[in-house]
Order: sequence, then C-alpha cells, then structure tokens
Amino acid sequence: MDPILILVCVILGGVLASLGVHLLPVGGAPAAMGTATGVATGTVMLMFGAAMCGLFTASSVATFSDNILLVSLSGSVGSWLMMGVTMLVANVIYVFGTGIVPVSGRVDVDPITKEPQKAYKTPQCDGHGVPNVSYISGMVGALLGGFGGAIMYFGLLNYAHFEETMAGIAAMGIFVANAIIAAYNIGGTIEGFQDPKFKRLPKALVSCGVISLLCGVLVVLVVNLGGLTG
Amino acid sequence: MPIEIAMLFAWMLLIVFLALVACMFEDLESDVGSQSNPNSQVQLAPQVGQVHRFFNKAISGEAPAYALYCTVAGVIAWVLLSKGAHPIIAIPIGAVVGEAVHLIFSVTAHVGRTTAQKRFEQPIYLDVLYGHIMPIATHGFMATLCITAIAYIQSNLGTLSGNPGLDHPFALPMLAFIWGITVGAIGSSTGDIHYGTEREFQDRPFGEGKRVVYHGKITRYADCGVRTQKDIAAFCAKFGGPCTGLTFGVIILFENWRTLVGMQVARYLPNLEAAAGDSAAVIGIVVGLVIGVVMIVGNLVLVRWARKRYGTFVGE
Amino acid sequence: MTVGGGPVVEEEKAEGFTIPPDVKQLGIIAGVISAVILIFPGLPAVIKAVGLILALVWGMDSVRKTSKYGLGTGVPSIGVLAMGYGIVGALVGIALVSKVVSKVGDSVLAPAAALGGVLLMGVVGLVSGVLSNHEKIIGMKIPKLEQGMTELGMAGTLAMLLQFSIVAGSLEFGVVLDKAISNGLIAVMFILSCMAMFHPYNACLGPDERRPRTMIVSVEVSGLLCVILGIVVAAVATTTWGVSGVVDGVLLVIFGAVVWLVCFVKFVRMCFEEAYSTVGTGMIKTIE
Repeated sequence: MDPILILVCVILGGVLASLGVHLLPVGGAPAAMGTATGVATGTVMLMFGAAMCGLFTASSVATFSDNILLVSLSGSVGSWLMMGVTMLVANVIYVFGTGIVPVSGRVDVDPITKEPQKAYKTPQCDGHGVPNVSYISGMVGALLGGFGGAIMYFGLLNYAHFEETMAGIAAMGIFVANAIIAAYNIGGTIEGFQDPKFKRLPKALVSCGVISLLCGVLVVLVVNLGGLTG
Repeated sequence: MPIEIAMLFAWMLLIVFLALVACMFEDLESDVGSQSNPNSQVQLAPQVGQVHRFFNKAISGEAPAYALYCTVAGVIAWVLLSKGAHPIIAIPIGAVVGEAVHLIFSVTAHVGRTTAQKRFEQPIYLDVLYGHIMPIATHGFMATLCITAIAYIQSNLGTLSGNPGLDHPFALPMLAFIWGITVGAIGSSTGDIHYGTEREFQDRPFGEGKRVVYHGKITRYADCGVRTQKDIAAFCAKFGGPCTGLTFGVIILFENWRTLVGMQVARYLPNLEAAAGDSAAVIGIVVGLVIGVVMIVGNLVLVRWARKRYGTFVGE
Repeated sequence: MTVGGGPVVEEEKAEGFTIPPDVKQLGIIAGVISAVILIFPGLPAVIKAVGLILALVWGMDSVRKTSKYGLGTGVPSIGVLAMGYGIVGALVGIALVSKVVSKVGDSVLAPAAALGGVLLMGVVGLVSGVLSNHEKIIGMKIPKLEQGMTELGMAGTLAMLLQFSIVAGSLEFGVVLDKAISNGLIAVMFILSCMAMFHPYNACLGPDERRPRTMIVSVEVSGLLCVILGIVVAAVATTTWGVSGVVDGVLLVIFGAVVWLVCFVKFVRMCFEEAYSTVGTGMIKTIE
C-alpha cells in the first residue's frame, strides 16, 4: 500500500476529469434543436458515458497487463473512440437529416482549419452541429477524461488493493463528483477550447484538485482501517 | 483449457449486433416517451401558450434513466442466475422487471410535470397517458433486454469460449450499469437531434438551425388531427433510430475488436500467456488511435463537403 | 429537463410541528432517526427500511432546496453528486467499523463508528459547497448551497450505509464487500438512491410545484427501492435477525410494495385533482 501513489492517482484522475469536461463540446438542450454548437446532451452525462466506456476497456486490459501507462492509455483510447463515433454520427444526422452546416457560434474563423464560420450560420442561432475545432477539442477532452478515469481505477485496484467491482464503482463515484463540480464552473454548456468560457478552467482545476485530495485521503483511510493488503 | 478463437470472435460479433438493436430501440423509446433534451421544448410549449398532447416524460437525462432500468434488470437477472435459472429465462424476466420500474417512473413524471403547469392551462389527457404506456414499455423492453444480454455475455465471455480467465472482471449488474449509461449518453447525443431539430419543428424551413424565437412553438398538429408521440416515433425510426443504433454498434465493435485483435496478434490467445500481456495492450492502443485519426479526417471531409454543397446561409 | 418558470417564491415557515415536517425539522428528524437505526445492524430489515426512506426524503429535500435557484446543469447532477459522495463515505464508514471491531472486539456499539464516515462526508460536502459558491472560485451564488451540499453528503452516506446493512446484515468491511459490493449490487443501490433523491423534484418541476406532493414521490421511489432490495435479500443474503434471510426479505418486499402502492395511488389521484383539468380526451388550444 503506497499512500502517495494512491493520492497521486486520485488527484490526477479528478483534475483530468475536470479538464476533459472543459474540452468536450456540449450544447445541452439547445443543441438538440440546432440552436447551439456541440453535442446535444448534458455535460456530466457525456463525460461520464465516455469515461465509463474507457473504464470498461481499461478493466479488461488490467487483467493481463500491470503497466500503469498501458492500462490508462487503453482507457483513454476507449473514450476517444466513443466520442469520435458519437460526434461523427451526430454530424451525419445534422448534415443529412436536418440540412445544417456545422459551424461554431463563438468564433468567426475556425482556429484549426481556418474556415470562415459566420456566413454559414443561421441567424438568431448560436451555431449548430459539431465543427472541426469542436470535434478535435472533444476528442482530446475524451482522451484526457478517459485517461483520468482509468488511472484512478488502476490506482484503486493495484495500490489500494480494492477488488475490481469496488475499484470500478469507487473510481466512478469520485470521477463523477469532479465532473459535476467542473460542470458547475461552465454553467452547463461549452463549445470547446475556443469558447471564452474555457478561460475559467483554472478555477475548476483548483476546486477539483482539492476535492480529489480529500477523497484520496479518505481512500487511504479506508485502506488503512479496512486492512486491505495485496 | 485453450480458448476457441472462432467462438470468441463469434460471441463478440453477437454483442455488436445486440448493441445495434439496443441503441436503436433506446432512441425510439426516448422519442415515444419524450425524454431528455427535446423534452425541454415539450415542457416550454404550454408556457408560451401552446397546449399540446405530447407525453412529457421528464425522468432525467437518458443516461441515468437507462442506467436505472438496465441495472435493475441486471440485478434481477443476476439473482435468478445465482439460483440456477437458465440465462434464457433470467435475462427476459430481468428486463420485464426493469421495464415495470420504467413505467412507474414515466407515469409519475408525466402527471407530475403536467400538474405543475396548472397555470398554463395544460390538461392531463388520460388517453395520452394510457395510450403511450405500451409503446414505451415495448421499445424499452427491447433496449433493456439487449443490454442485459450484452452484460451477461461479457461477464461470461471466457466461460462461453473455453477459458473462464477471459471473463470480464466486473460483476453483471455493474456491466449493465456501465452500458446503460453509455447507451443513454449516445442516444441522447445522436438520435435526439433528429427528433428535436427535425420532427418537433416540422413546419419550419428545412436546412437551417431552429432559431431561438421558434422555441416552444412546436408542431402540435399531425398529418390528420392532433399530434402525439405515436406520430413521432414512426418518423424517427427511419433515420434517427437506425443511426443511433449504428453508433453504439460501431463503438462496441471497435472496443471489443481491438482488444481481441491485440490479444491475438501478440499471441496472448489461445492459452492466455501472461508474458504477452503488455504487447497485447500496446497493439490495442495503436489500433484504436489509428481508427480515431481516420474519424477526424472523416469529419474534416464531411464538414468541407457540407460547406461546399450547401453554401452560405441564404435568406434572413 | 430544466426549464424554470416564474420567480422563486420563498415558502413560509410553518409554526410548530407539521405533517409533513418543514425543511429544518425534517433534516433533524431524518438525520437523528437514520443514525440511530444505523447503529443496530441486527434490526429487522423493515425498520432499517424506514431509516432508509427518511434519509432519502432528507436528500430529496436538500436537492429541492438547492435546485430551486437554477443550477445550470440540471437537477439530476446534484443527486448523482450526493450518491457519489455516498459511496466514498460508506466505504469509509464500514472501514471504521472494522477497525473498531478489530481493536475492541465485537461490541454492540461498534457500528456507531460508521457515523464517522457520515460526518467526514459532510465535511467534504461542505468544502465542495464553499468552493462552488465562493465568488473567487466557481461562484454559483446559490443561497445556502454550502448547507445543501453538506446535507447531501451526509444523507447520501446514511442511505448507502443503511442499504449495506439491509443486504449484508452487518457493517463489517469484509462481510459487506463480499455480499454487497463484489457482486455488483452496489450499482443498483447507487442508481436507485440517486433516483429517489432527484426524480421527485425533477418530475414535479414547474411553477405550481408543491412540496408535500413532491415528498410523496420520494417515499414512493424509496418503496420501490425496498422491493428490489427485498428480492435480493430473500434470494441470497442471510441477515442476523432471528430467522433466516428469506423471511426478512419477503417482509421487506411486502413492506416496500405496500408503501409504494399507497404513495403511488395517492400521488396520481392528487395530481388528477390538482391539475388544470383531467380529461379523457380533447382538442388543444393556443393561448396568445
């Protein structure tokens, strides 16, 4: 049992969760009506779903690999694939099902592909669809979020010697708490790293760091008191 | 005992097909009982004076709601399996109990929300309440059944293919929980767009985002008479539903396939060689990254095509 | 999902004790009674279920109090936050109990150590409330968010610990791990408790929402949770209450089913009476 390693894994997991939440393009309810840019769901639930998908793969890889980097990367690639497919099919539905060009509402020129956005945007809408910059931002966000969830799971499994289901659900509990606090910071919707709301990131990182630290201390307490050994 | 490789990949393909069916029915169910994001418009409509005959099922987002039904189904199935019942009996019974819970929550949500809109003169239409119970239950049953079956197969993958060492370490209810959340998150992100942008505002121009001034003024009349959810599901079943099913099926395909390919190429199978574990993981990661990069390129191509073909916004 | 309507009206404080209890009284009653019931894991499951229902109604009340002012992310997230804290707190609670048992042997009051987990989680809830509300950090500016989150941390932990106690029959780490966590039951406890906390307010959201009506839904969902737990207890667990686990589980199922049926019928009837109108069928109107 190594308390420092447990704390590092939990804090890293929590901080990456909040970073991932800020990078995912979430439009909330207006995006489902083609009024806002982003994926048409709630921030917390999308991050949670992506992290769960990553956690599933990470837990199968953890049965045959002991390398913390490989297990965490497996988790992150799992989330990356989930977000990739989801956003791509969402764009297919926007383009072919509703006839909308994906554009951003917060920037005039796409920072990555340098495509102008304003001429293609419907008036009185805050953008629609998942433009390229939001897509890449979302993929990176899912990569980091999945990494955070998987590293927390690995820490709880191998350093805190929790049993698999217990480690999975404890990692999920701490992860979702961090994601929710980060979602409060952005007020529910964000377009990705190009959104002005992204500048609020440091506050969420600090808050999530503190909460993850407290949860990590409690996990160390559980290991100590419960007598969990390898 | 060595793993039969062919059986392993066969079970994996079965999981992919079940996932496709599950997510398609999940999206249709969330259209039949209006749930999650487009439901905010159904909620808003009376407030702007548009009394409607829609089923206002405001349980929560689809992710926690599906987590609920699938986990309850998973627990009941697990209880029956631990008592020695055959999976063919245990899984459908679990799904039925999960759907019973679903119906209870739907009824309380609809009547609760409609009652709280007393001042906007929105009545409770009893035929809307009774008439949508069956479609919600049956669509939801298909989704829950498939997810519970996926959870069962995954938690017994190794046992079904020869070596229990390959079973997924999580317990069955936990797997059902994970896939319930994922299927809800995906259905909410993809299928809801077709329902919300296209079908709910059918009398607005096609080919543009729905402006803020349209919000609340949903299309309340059907081809003939007044619209209810039954008119909505038939439309979304032609585009939104299958696309959503395709999303989840492809995700499950990539997830399981790259892990198994990694194991196969690194010679971890058929005897579960411990030494090959690390290289199996590496191959899985590399395959996943490559697929992701292909998708990013795909999105670039799609957006560029849409911009060229559709052109800039015309009109005011 | 979250559409508010109309300005927020502060509710009048009732004088003296009322049925249902007002916000402050409910918190104290629920907290004290659940804590006392928790200390005796040997009690029959039906009594523990009463404590569980009280803890979940208390959680629902806190969710309602904080969500009234518009959280931005929706009502479900704060319910999930409460139970996320509940899981961590419950793990701390059962670990504390094991430590006390290993130090002083199997005393009757050893399970009281689980309340340490409840208090610790209350502290974490307080810290997250302060971080969320403070203007220099996240700055949500919701009145009494700190108090709300503290209560949610404690209510979530109490609910989870009581459910462990119902299914596993004791609060010791090893026993709970074996009977409630490794087999995945903790997932259904988590999600149904989340639902019991946030579904009532979410389902009754609107300008004409009334607290007594919302509380009935909370009791109804808790009754449903008791039915599911009862099925599990009857099938697999053994409790420490006198007779075998099957009787205990069946009694819990009957209790849960009765509670659920009474509250469900009452709620639906109340809604039919209090809605604008309840008609068999009819046309729609447009109000300009």
